[in-house]
Amino acid sequence: MKIEGVYKLAAVRERVFERLLDPESLAKAMPGCDSFEERGDGAYTARIKVGVGPIKGTYEARVEILDRVPPEHYRMTVEGKGSGGFVKGDGAVHLSPEGDGTLLKYSGEVQVGGLIASVGQRMMQTAAKQIVNQFFQAFVKLT
Amino acid sequence: MISESFEYHVPKTIEEALGMIGEFGDESKVLAGGHSLLPMMKLRLASPKHLIDIGRIGALRYIRESEGQLELGALTTHFEIESSSLLKSKCPLLPETAREIGDVQVCNRGTLGGSLVHADPAADWPAAMLAVEAEMVARGPHGERKIRARDFFVDLMATALQSDELLTAIRVSPLPARTGDAYLKLHHPASGFAVVGVAVRLTLAESGSIGEARVGVTGVGAKPYRAEETERLLAGKSPTAKRLEEAAAHAADGVDANSDLYASGDYRKHLAAVYARRAIQRAAERAAGR
Amino acid sequence: MATKYLGERIKRKEDPRLIQGRGHYVDDLKLGGMAHLAFARSPHAHARIKSIDAGAAVATPGVLAVYTGEELKGQVGFVPCAAGLEGLKIPDHPCLATGTVHYLGEPVAAVVATSRYGARDAAEKIEVDYEPLPAVLDMEKALVKGSPRVHEHLTDNTAFVAKLEAGDWNAVRQDASLKVIKQRLINQRLAPASMETRGVVASYSPGEDTLTVWSSTQIPHILKTQLAIMSKLDEARCRVITPEVGGGFGSKLNVYGEEGVACFASRKLGRPVKWIEGRRENMLATIHGRDQINDLEIYAKPDGKVAGFRCRILASMGAYHQLLTPAIPTLTALMILGAYDIKNVFVETVGVFTNEMSTDAYRGAGRPEATYIIERAMDLVAFELKMDPVEVRRKNFPSSGKDISMATGVVYDTANYEKPLKKALRLAGYNRLRKEQERLRKKGKYLGIGVSTYVEICAMGPSSRMPGGGWESGTVRVEPTGKVTVLSGTSPHGQGEETTFAQIVAEQLGVSFDDVTVYHGDTSVVPMGIGTFGSRTTAVGGSAIYYASERIKKKMAKFAAARLGVKPGELLFRDGKIETSDGAKSVPFGSIVVDAYSAKTLPAGVEPGLFEQFVFEPPNYTYPFGAHIAVVEIDEETGEVRLRDYFAVDDCGRILNPLLVDGQIHGGLAQGIGQALWEEHVYDESGQLLTGTFMDYALPKAGCFPWFHTANTETRTPVNPLGVKGVGEAGTIGSTPAVVNAVVDALRPLGVRHVDMPLKPEKIWKLMKGNAGDGGR
Ligand SMILES: Cc1cc2nc3c(=O)[nH]c(=O)nc-3n(C[C@H](O)[C@H](O)[C@H](O)COP(=O)(O)OP(=O)(O)OC[C@H]3O[C@@H](n4cnc5c(N)ncnc54)[C@H](O)[C@@H]3O)c2cc1C
Repeated sequence: MKIEGVYKLAAVRERVFERLLDPESLAKAMPGCDSFEERGDGAYTARIKVGVGPIKGTYEARVEILDRVPPEHYRMTVEGKGSGGFVKGDGAVHLSPEGDGTLLKYSGEVQVGGLIASVGQRMMQTAAKQIVNQFFQAFVKLT
Repeated sequence: MISESFEYHVPKTIEEALGMIGEFGDESKVLAGGHSLLPMMKLRLASPKHLIDIGRIGALRYIRESEGQLELGALTTHFEIESSSLLKSKCPLLPETAREIGDVQVCNRGTLGGSLVHADPAADWPAAMLAVEAEMVARGPHGERKIRARDFFVDLMATALQSDELLTAIRVSPLPARTGDAYLKLHHPASGFAVVGVAVRLTLAESGSIGEARVGVTGVGAKPYRAEETERLLAGKSPTAKRLEEAAAHAADGVDANSDLYASGDYRKHLAAVYARRAIQRAAERAAGR
Repeated sequence: MATKYLGERIKRKEDPRLIQGRGHYVDDLKLGGMAHLAFARSPHAHARIKSIDAGAAVATPGVLAVYTGEELKGQVGFVPCAAGLEGLKIPDHPCLATGTVHYLGEPVAAVVATSRYGARDAAEKIEVDYEPLPAVLDMEKALVKGSPRVHEHLTDNTAFVAKLEAGDWNAVRQDASLKVIKQRLINQRLAPASMETRGVVASYSPGEDTLTVWSSTQIPHILKTQLAIMSKLDEARCRVITPEVGGGFGSKLNVYGEEGVACFASRKLGRPVKWIEGRRENMLATIHGRDQINDLEIYAKPDGKVAGFRCRILASMGAYHQLLTPAIPTLTALMILGAYDIKNVFVETVGVFTNEMSTDAYRGAGRPEATYIIERAMDLVAFELKMDPVEVRRKNFPSSGKDISMATGVVYDTANYEKPLKKALRLAGYNRLRKEQERLRKKGKYLGIGVSTYVEICAMGPSSRMPGGGWESGTVRVEPTGKVTVLSGTSPHGQGEETTFAQIVAEQLGVSFDDVTVYHGDTSVVPMGIGTFGSRTTAVGGSAIYYASERIKKKMAKFAAARLGVKPGELLFRDGKIETSDGAKSVPFGSIVVDAYSAKTLPAGVEPGLFEQFVFEPPNYTYPFGAHIAVVEIDEETGEVRLRDYFAVDDCGRILNPLLVDGQIHGGLAQGIGQALWEEHVYDESGQLLTGTFMDYALPKAGCFPWFHTANTETRTPVNPLGVKGVGEAGTIGSTPAVVNAVVDALRPLGVRHVDMPLKPEKIWKLMKGNAGDGGR
């Protein structure tokens, strides 16, 4: 499943880039995040309670940041496992200056497996968008 | 298909139910007809520890007319709406919508309130609620408040109802003079839900031109919405086929459309335009006949 | 006149109990001390099992045992595959995965607990650490050298390659007058989705050392033998009982790993163990149907006569073979010429392993695919040559008659394809419809008329061609009171043979229909049998019963002849009497029964008692045929297809009970039309099943259909004494191409020559918009 989107942020690129890799900011922006810890070497682990409406699951996720090119670009992989199945994602974030602020573009592939995949097909795309949106909306407020 | 274990509670009154919701909080779920909640529990997508069955609160189940408004208790079933002679004469859009929902079992158990709170992006009721500008009545620990339909649906399976509130009633205004309504949908062949559904309430002015049109759309986006551009293009115009088509073409403007195995976002947007035109056409014809 | 039962519209004996909810299914069985089984299943299509932690599951209150594949090793045999094909690779198929999982939903561990809920809860707590491996989903990519392999120890993903070739291909190739038409067809994966899911109760008695298994199966006798082998138990100590079975459609013509585990658990624990499959499990881990890619090459003469037909069949096996998995596409090859006299044929069938659930027999089993191929081919010829599809078919029909030899090597018992076609055309008002179509086309409206003149292979079958034999047993026992008990080795599960078999015996013996009781589905009651599938139950099983009744008659006639002082050959059995043909002398049926059991005066060389058995070996398959016509309207704005009318004229040989034939046809049509318009199992590219519930898998409901217009022609088969051919699958086989042909016909003005199933509105909308190429995928 492909996901992508564009957000406008008021802060300058450098600050956005920094925030995007700061465990504390991430933990705040991530919907339902119980813990978010840096494991060094660009790896993080998180415990996230995510879902839509009444469908919620707790996932243990491992996030890795790769191909870091501050303040423009990085790649991120996510592997999560929880009661509803598993999630794997691989995406890229691009930052470009726009006026006084920053234009953030993300695009990626998300693979969902297990229970959620086989019973939630019809809402998957929409739900994924919603979760990512929630994150970025919260993130926009932080910067 | 066996759910996790849960504790089952049967409040007899709204107050008792609110007390339980307050007590169990996030660990609990209200059970109405169960036709959305129970399948999710059986799939273990949702696993509330406490189930508060409001199904036996008689005070939530009625259809009545008071102060010129129609009021439906949240527990009113799809079938009760479909077969209500009061609604058939005063707000035919509701029985017409009910007829398009699920099968007999679903209609006998499923409730209007449950459907609205569940806010499935493909549910039928939200479109009709938007078209008739329904008002949702919510009761919480701090009393009662009213929420307009257009403020009620917030996002995918998310509403303005707070987790400590109960939806108790739905208020709709009866069909005014020279007004017609219509609900049309493309049924998903598996679920029966709306791939796209469009509900319209349209009033003709004395002159024969369109006074006001309200167009509610479900199935297309993460949440149901009013097709505002379409409504704007209709207002004050005479309902010619060309006008309707031009206006309906904007039925999914600016919507980030859902996409799944059955229908892509582009196709959904196209369907929205076609179904909007047909529903508006039908509503206009009905308005002319009243 | 004697009371007639055969050919009558008699209500089904089984219906009062079924309609009133008084039937007993596996799940109704409650035994003392019964424990419950639940499975933990793989969430991956392909992964190595690094570790399994069952600690939390074992510690759950009420849990009696947790088993993994390792524990079953050497204790329970592999899930069997009976198909015998040259060069077939049969990977070991353990009941619980060991080392690697090969498809989504594969059972990895089993929990036995005192309650069903407890078992499920504990199964959720089993922690399996997987290392995902690349999954093989696309059949064509699977065959490319260097592709990841489903089974690492096998050299590649090819399960088998079979070729069927006949005729003079040099001549065909050199004939420049022939038009070569190529087309790829996709026959999508389907869920059999019987209303009752699978279920089993295994009950081992340590004292007697016997294993009794209640299973929702179509093949109790085969299951008994296979479970005995898997469980390493004497067959004589095993008994399989099929209670009421709520549909199978082929999916229960199988032996499943879960059954093996239930038997193992019951033996280990010394108590009955029940497993009832959930609907989600049913979608994931009960066999799927179809899933073929067909590449066609048609060589047609300018007048529509087809000179040569080539097809490459890629058939997905799934990850493992179930009982008959590889055999299914071979039936496609066998029937690929359908009702057409095509002398030159070449079919290459490649069975491909993929990381998916196994495919296997699903209503029609290989023949719907064949019929779809050839019936689409006929329409493609019509399209390319701008002919009427009916004309093309007529050009290619063989002349009517018996024993028609086909280039594929099969010999059709009877053929008279014009007869049902003519009737269907008249019933549908074909010429009128074509005129209406022309009128509507001028207005930009889409009306489509689709024809399918199918022939199928039924009444399975001659033992020479069936793995494990194709005979069937029938026993008729006249009880001392004169009531009649019939035992059949078949295992009807909704088809209604309790009624048909009783009709056969009542008419044969001249007794009342109400006095005949039919039993089946208990290996300790019925001596032997094969089961119910391949539209064989009445044709093969009914014939055995017919001959067993004949034996009873012969014997009773000897007793009666002695009493009446006539020759046995002169006697007729009717209305409770045995009498001379002129009716002058008679003796009540019951008094002869008493003679046989009291055995005071036995005619020379006659044994006491009245119970006779017959094992019928069919000399050939039967080949029912028919003509279906679908009429569709397409919404020109949205692409929605509305099935306006459906006409089915089926020739299933002699009709024993028109009510039951109608029932089979109606249900079959629903399934066949379902495939054309709605049904589709979809795995994503990583092997996740996206259609795991009925919210996404579109199983048709009664409200989806117009009233079906059904009719019959009756061409009796010489293959069996009843003249019946079988009708269980015909509706499904004939209807899918009729509907697709109708939709493509509707789109003909747009130059569309093919659309793959299911015919979802968006595909058609895109074609109408003109921005999708051929195929609309
Ligand atoms: C086979 C099938 C087909 C269907 N087809 C359609 C269809 O075509 N169109 C369609 O629109 N719907 C369809 N539905 C859904 C059906 O209409 C549901 O019944 C309805 O959406 C939910 O109503 P319910 O009373 O069953 O709610 P429940 O399942 O009991 O509850 C749903 C949610 O709402 C909450 N809730 C319920 N009542 C209240 C309340 N008064 N206050 C606060 N929270 C509340 C619950 O906690 C739960 O989260 C179908 C369902 C099934 C099973």
